Amino acid sequence: MGLTNTDIQSAQGVEQTDGNIITTTIDRVVNWGRKNSLWPMPFGTACCAIEMMATLASKFDLSRFGSEAIRFSPRQSDLLIVSGRISIKMMPVLKRIYDQMPDPKWVISMGACASCGGVFDTYTLIQGVDQFIPVDVYIPGCPPRPEDLIDAVLQVQQKITSGASPKGVEHLLET
Amino acid sequence: MNEEKEVEEQPIPLVIQKLEAHHADALLSQGEMRGTVVVVVRKEQAYAVLEYLKTDPELAYTFLVDITAVDNSQMESELMQFDYARYMVVYQLYSYQGQCRLRVKVPVHENDLNTPSVTGLWQGANWLERETYDMFGINFEGHPDLRRILMPDDFEGHPLQKDYPLRGRGERESFNFDKQNA
Repeated sequence: MGLTNTDIQSAQGVEQTDGNIITTTIDRVVNWGRKNSLWPMPFGTACCAIEMMATLASKFDLSRFGSEAIRFSPRQSDLLIVSGRISIKMMPVLKRIYDQMPDPKWVISMGACASCGGVFDTYTLIQGVDQFIPVDVYIPGCPPRPEDLIDAVLQVQQKITSGASPKGVEHLLET
Repeated sequence: MNEEKEVEEQPIPLVIQKLEAHHADALLSQGEMRGTVVVVVRKEQAYAVLEYLKTDPELAYTFLVDITAVDNSQMESELMQFDYARYMVVYQLYSYQGQCRLRVKVPVHENDLNTPSVTGLWQGANWLERETYDMFGINFEGHPDLRRILMPDDFEGHPLQKDYPLRGRGERESFNFDKQNA
């Protein structure tokens, strides 16, 4: 279901025998499922969130890539989209939401403000959320176009397919 | 030159007439800025003047639009006018009855940041005064709950004071998440 013949043949490590049987590894199947059902947790605090809404709406339609099930509960989501300015008062909230998400989880830092503070080099604004939470994909732009966000989701999908760990657990795997 | 002439020709606004009649000793200065009457009032009589402006049936400035402050510490010309008062607390009022606006300014000296709270006159002053306290450190006496409203509770300093560094004092790089989340 959903897995077309081309998908099967192009995927590495998947073998098709003469009959209707394919063999693969459990990781590959799990990653394939994860990749196509990313549930984003939106953390929209500024104009980037408007572009995120557009991305989810019918014109750009993120559901084409399996990520339309926006969860407003961090417990049910595995992709955190930080879109907008994060102030020093908001950062503990964001950190807590990230901590509440179950592993494995990925983080997209959307736009200039979330990634580096943008034009707001002031006392109250976090100069890049990656100082406090691990970020997998950064999107440049102020704000980025919906296509940029879709591209970022596709890059997360690529990362999942490749079997790479999310940034958040890399430090656990070292040693 | 022309502007001055026009101002002279205009009749004295009712609010100025009435304030001069009833609170002449409180008035430090009066003028007009882009169509809005501006009066500067002594801090000690500020509450009485604002109460008068609100309750007088002819003036009826019943709507408090905004409270904010200005730090004039780097504006020598402004400082000199009002005996080197560093801060100017600004009240924006509107009268539905007269359909006109009024700006009331109250000079506050750096060594005495207390100024009367007007929460007794306008309930809406509550959050506005909290914001002014948070940003400038003005202490509104008689406020029911004078806490920070924009900055985190454990923030130190008042960031809209002119001597506060733009990039902060390192607050944005360091966090005690345990404390903030508690």
